[in-house]
Amino acid sequence: MSASSAAVGRVRARKSHPATFLIPAFAVLAVFYFLPTIFNFIYAMTDWSGFRAEINFVGFRNFSDLLQSGTLLNSLRITIVFAVLVAVFQNLFGMILALLLEKDTRVNRFARVMFFIPVIMSALAVGYVWQAMLRPDGGVNQLLGFFLGRDITVAWLGSTTWTIVVVALVHSWKWMGLSMLIYLAGLKTINEDVLEAARLDGAGSWRIFKDIRFPLLAPAVTFNVATALLGSMNGFDIVQATTGGGPAGSTELLNIFIFRTFGQGLFAQATTMSLVLFLVVLALAFPVIRTLRKREEVL
Amino acid sequence: MKKKLTAVAAVAAVAMTLTACSDPTVGTTGSNGDAAEVTWPEATADLTGTTLTLWAAQASASIPEAVIEAFEDATGATVDVITVPDPYEQGIQTRVATGDMPDLAFWQPTPSMLTAINASTNLQPLDGAPWLEHMDPAVRDVTGILDGTRYAALISSPTVQGVFYNRAVFADHGIDVPTNWDELLEAARTLHGEGQTAFFDFLSPTGWATQWAVQVQLADAAADGLWDRINAGDEAFTDETFLTAIENYKSMIDEGLFNDNLASATFEDQAAALLSGDAAMAFQINALVGAMQAQASAAEVDDAVGFFPISPSGNVATVSPDQTNGVVAFRTGDADREAAARQFLSFWMSDGYQTFIEDQATVSLLDTVDTPDSVPQVTRDLAAAVANSVGSIQAQAIVNPDLFLFLANMAQGTLTPEQAAQNTQDHFVQLARALGAEGF
Repeated sequence: MSASSAAVGRVRARKSHPATFLIPAFAVLAVFYFLPTIFNFIYAMTDWSGFRAEINFVGFRNFSDLLQSGTLLNSLRITIVFAVLVAVFQNLFGMILALLLEKDTRVNRFARVMFFIPVIMSALAVGYVWQAMLRPDGGVNQLLGFFLGRDITVAWLGSTTWTIVVVALVHSWKWMGLSMLIYLAGLKTINEDVLEAARLDGAGSWRIFKDIRFPLLAPAVTFNVATALLGSMNGFDIVQATTGGGPAGSTELLNIFIFRTFGQGLFAQATTMSLVLFLVVLALAFPVIRTLRKREEVL
Repeated sequence: MKKKLTAVAAVAAVAMTLTACSDPTVGTTGSNGDAAEVTWPEATADLTGTTLTLWAAQASASIPEAVIEAFEDATGATVDVITVPDPYEQGIQTRVATGDMPDLAFWQPTPSMLTAINASTNLQPLDGAPWLEHMDPAVRDVTGILDGTRYAALISSPTVQGVFYNRAVFADHGIDVPTNWDELLEAARTLHGEGQTAFFDFLSPTGWATQWAVQVQLADAAADGLWDRINAGDEAFTDETFLTAIENYKSMIDEGLFNDNLASATFEDQAAALLSGDAAMAFQINALVGAMQAQASAAEVDDAVGFFPISPSGNVATVSPDQTNGVVAFRTGDADREAAARQFLSFWMSDGYQTFIEDQATVSLLDTVDTPDSVPQVTRDLAAAVANSVGSIQAQAIVNPDLFLFLANMAQGTLTPEQAAQNTQDHFVQLARALGAEGF
């Protein structure tokens, strides 16, 4: 196509799809996405609260107060630990499930459905069910007690050190079905010829996985790790239902802290925190996604 | 052209933002802006066709059932009780902030919580209500008032902090009811020395009762104006009075005076331990009676458990009214419904009061109605303690920091007493500033 005919094509495209067609979509985007985000920035600089009618501009005072008190940083640390744990567990479980259930047999198809059910369950229901299971007199301890032949009364949600790991496992349990599905789709795209060539060269199944299948799954890994990590940064429902942030605030994710602060009528502070979370997610998202995309380039 | 459009859009966005920069709950002033004009309809006047909504917490949803039934029979009105999930206060504040409002709600009738809901804008003043003349002034004016205006109807005897004890355990170990803090500690050490768990507290799922052991130690200071000084910013939670109370609580835990399973124990466990005598005492409020009655009959509770108020130098009680004690009426902007809401409160506190206290087995606050015989002695003792009492942090402080949360974290070992005090102070300052209090 010559340069002039390309230009004609553009003109024709402009005539048949005028830019004004975009206005409805952008209006919705502006009202429901840009405006709230702008408000988020503005309210963070005010003293908006449930106690008083007027709203005054206070500059960066909310930020400096929050940084000074240390509670924000503590919640942020817990949130990041939680997100990293979820990213690891969810992908590990999803990958293992995908490899185990890769063949299209009747049993495997049934098992895939079973593992996908938690994904479509209500997050709060998942949280409450696990809260009941993990009680000292709950199902998990009874099961362990049955197999070990003695009474087990571990307070799974009572440790200020390990409960964060337990809630990360619950979160991963809920979402591992989704990771499994994406890894399964990824595994299906790998060309059978490549695997056959490797097998003819004498590569074992571990070697094939490590050197061929896993590298070729890079796009699936990018998607799964990024969504698990960044999605769990915004985690709230499952942890709120399971521990409510306890014991002793050791599982108090930033969103739970924000919810609590908002509930106390400190609307500006809560807005400031959600702005901080937004910035942290943004700051994490770019390097994480860039690094993962780099892995794909070698393909 | 494109640049111009962008500029226009940006200006529009900024303009919209600026005009929208005001609280949505403002400007909902009802028809009765002036308290002097408020009229109180006859308690049983006809209200056929009127529907009122009453927000309640899970803990308070069943409280008004009997009185609502009587009101509906007498007036033809309908009262819908809507249970707002816990944490109740947060849920209400969030809803009211977004412009959602009931006609009535259970609400902690303390100045800090009345402030938290922006009472002067959102609530109907109840000065001059017809039932007030029938109440004992010592109880009537304990709570429900903010800046000289009454906003809450006190429906039941306000919650009192003190010590519940197992009578049999005290008798077995030859212990008399302590008459001051030192005697209480001595009794606890004796019990501990004889292998008996002295106090029972709990941290699961939240350790909301951790604050009582600290608060009762402040009774003398409270009588001496502690909360006025803290409210003015002249004294802090990190200063000696408050910090000492926290340190005492921590050292009592470290000494082994509390139950071993503190971290995993629950409120229900506390009620069971006190009933059975597994524990001798518990720092608690009226709510414990309800929890014990869920596990045993009223008579069994009365036989097993007694109550005494405690303060550093004597038996002065600390009152902390909660949301089961108070009902507020909102300024919804609809004059008829606002009047109907007042009429409901008026009915509750006159014609319907007998039904209410018999149903709830609680002590009467009105001189026109006698306390039913079915009311347990422990409930009577709790009500009697109100007459000789001082205000708690809930009743007296201008805002209510998350004291219990920091104390629970301290009991779990994640905060030191100094950090717990500092966190409480920081949170207090943050809330006081949001309130616009002077000195912060």
